[in-house]
Amino acid sequence: MRYPKRIGRLSVPRRTAHLATAALLVAAMAACGQDDGANSSAPKAPATIPELTKDPLTLSFIWFDWPPAHALETFANAEYTKERPNVTIKVNTVPNANWHDAMFTQFAAHKTDFDIPVLDSQHIGEAVTNGNILDITDFVKKNIDVKAYNPYLLAAYGQFPQAETGKRDENASLYGLPLLGDTWTMIYRKDLIGDTPPKTWDEMISVAEKCQADNPGVSGLAFHQANGSDAAAVTYNTVNGLYGGNLWDAKARKIEGVINDAAGQEAMDILVNKMKPLTAKGSGNWFIDEVNAAVAQGKACIAFNWIAASGALLDPKQSTLGSTKEEILDKLGFAPLPSQKTNLVPLGGMGMHVSAYSSKEKQAEALNFMKWFEQADIQKKWAAAGGVPARTDALESPEFLNAGPFNKVYTESVPRMRDMWNVPEYARLIDIENTNVNAALNGAKAPKDALNDIAKEQQSVLDSSGRKGGGGL
Amino acid sequence: MSDPVSLTTDRPGQVASTTPPAPGRSRHLSDRWLAVLFISPALLLLLAMSVFPLLWALYLSFTDYSATRGGPATFVWFGNYTAILASAQVHLRALTTLIYVVGAVALQTVLGFSIAYLISRRTHGRGLLTTLFLVPMMLSPVVVGLFWRFMLDAQFGVINSMLGSLGLGQVEWLTRQQTALFSLIVVDTWQWTPFIMLIALAGLTAVPKYLYEAASIDRASEWFRFRTITLPLVWPLLLIAVLFRAIEAFRLFDLVYILTSGGPGVSTETLSFHVYKVAFLGFNTGTASAYGILMVLIVIVLTQLYLRYLNKLKED
Repeated sequence: MRYPKRIGRLSVPRRTAHLATAALLVAAMAACGQDDGANSSAPKAPATIPELTKDPLTLSFIWFDWPPAHALETFANAEYTKERPNVTIKVNTVPNANWHDAMFTQFAAHKTDFDIPVLDSQHIGEAVTNGNILDITDFVKKNIDVKAYNPYLLAAYGQFPQAETGKRDENASLYGLPLLGDTWTMIYRKDLIGDTPPKTWDEMISVAEKCQADNPGVSGLAFHQANGSDAAAVTYNTVNGLYGGNLWDAKARKIEGVINDAAGQEAMDILVNKMKPLTAKGSGNWFIDEVNAAVAQGKACIAFNWIAASGALLDPKQSTLGSTKEEILDKLGFAPLPSQKTNLVPLGGMGMHVSAYSSKEKQAEALNFMKWFEQADIQKKWAAAGGVPARTDALESPEFLNAGPFNKVYTESVPRMRDMWNVPEYARLIDIENTNVNAALNGAKAPKDALNDIAKEQQSVLDSSGRKGGGGL
Repeated sequence: MSDPVSLTTDRPGQVASTTPPAPGRSRHLSDRWLAVLFISPALLLLLAMSVFPLLWALYLSFTDYSATRGGPATFVWFGNYTAILASAQVHLRALTTLIYVVGAVALQTVLGFSIAYLISRRTHGRGLLTTLFLVPMMLSPVVVGLFWRFMLDAQFGVINSMLGSLGLGQVEWLTRQQTALFSLIVVDTWQWTPFIMLIALAGLTAVPKYLYEAASIDRASEWFRFRTITLPLVWPLLLIAVLFRAIEAFRLFDLVYILTSGGPGVSTETLSFHVYKVAFLGFNTGTASAYGILMVLIVIVLTQLYLRYLNKLKED
């Protein structure tokens, strides 16, 4: 018997192959072109909440993984279901570093597995410009008592364009409502530096320096320095604000010459040459958890962290400062940030928004949830459950003020807040600032060079809208 | 029985079509169409998952398209390519990537081959030792990154604790420019040395024993045997392992993301990490596509040059 000498290749005519390739290219271009008619501005939510479904429904949030996210899920499932028993609340969480990407990659696909994205205040510009969230101006007018809020909080978590003056523009559109207010608190060791917190930033540095010298093994300061998220950038922005600097001239869209002016240079010098030497070795990649760990382990005299993340400091299981909450509070004090040339503090916290890609049924439920959540008695309950409300009556309520030793700090800090740029280019601006401040803090760049690079690179991002090719580099 | 001559033809496709279908098969379903039918699911999957995205990325690389901004994709032709090639930011990341690839692959090759050589000389416990050495390779890079991050922590990490017990000072492994890239190389080496070791071991065990026996009869020294028998025979296989590792190291992302986030500053940002930032911070999809295409081209060109060298080595 004879066997085939070789198996021949299945021949595909060259013309067919060319046609197939061309078809693929056309399909690729057609698929890409599907977005041609996409909206470039946010669609409007109805002023009145449409009829709600009686069928079982899950309303999904997306947030980053931290205690307030878990508190919200527990709180909403316990309270909102009293009004809407057919609704389950699910708060999906992602690591902080993936938070922006997790939301905006789904926005890019024009399909979201969440109905209420919890956006950082600076993400609003990007989401509004791309038409990813609903314009809820009419809904707010009809359903929300806007006078109950500090106008700046309402503006910071919902208004676009940004409240440049720090005051709400009543004619501007609203795209979100406050979910969680936040700012930095100063955490200090009462047993090491005394009961009275320092009043000025310069005094704070001197006190930390003395404390570090007097207590071997304990560093003077602990603060955010990491190059992920907005960690190092918020630290610099805080010092910049306190020493009289500005991040930009919003009207002229000018950063070069503003952030790196004399006040900005002084702030960078204070941060790198006076504050950094008082931190623990290797703390150049610290963020929220690492700062909390240093405080809980008794390794820092003075620390700065977001109020909403400070609850863990009172947990005896995670602390070496005491075996009960009272013992811990004998050693730890919480105070608003010291002032210097100004008294500005960073605005933290987030608003809730409605995904433009959710079903109408879920959008209606989301609007109903927002209306429910912003009621005075619910805001007080949210405060008691560990949240930081935004309504003035809730902020001044005993439910909030007695819920945590740092809550009074928040109420006192509200009139002092300053936010960053709320523009569509935010993600790139914050990355430039974060990486450069982190480089300066870790000795990879001279402080002056780092600040000048921030100014130059950020300005080029703002100026690059008309550039042909290479955007994003 | 069918005519055996028809099976030996050099044009089987043509002959196959004239073969009568098997009993029970449709008269219209020839062998050729049956073959097309069988390979089409795999082919369609390949087209949908690999070829189509690649072509789409190629198309997008000539536009200013943004995945989130929507709107029409305007052609900028080679604008993205020229901007990338001229960018000082990209040059910096390319240099970092080059240092990383050369450092990591060189270290892994030396260590991997040394371990394989030592294991190959053992007669007992070789299998167990090989299996134990392979464990790091089986772990997810994210898991590896996370536990090395804890181990390298300057304050609480076990590495500094060990250095402290030896009377040495604390080292800021992940937050200093001088040590951060070195730490990445060390972690990558810990994970991927076993890969080189495994291939080198396969090469070493394939060296014919009689060559060593002949060398022993000639009273050749250990070094002489290694230099003239072992190394020349294992070398081509080792070079293939180096090629695989170099391609892998070139597209490093996960360890950087977990261990340093590209810091301090941007001093450990590799090309892949930079592409990620371009693609997802501001969603400059067109630029990111061009960046990705350029990286693929670099790998293809370098691989071709390397393979030519390998073939030449084989011919020699």
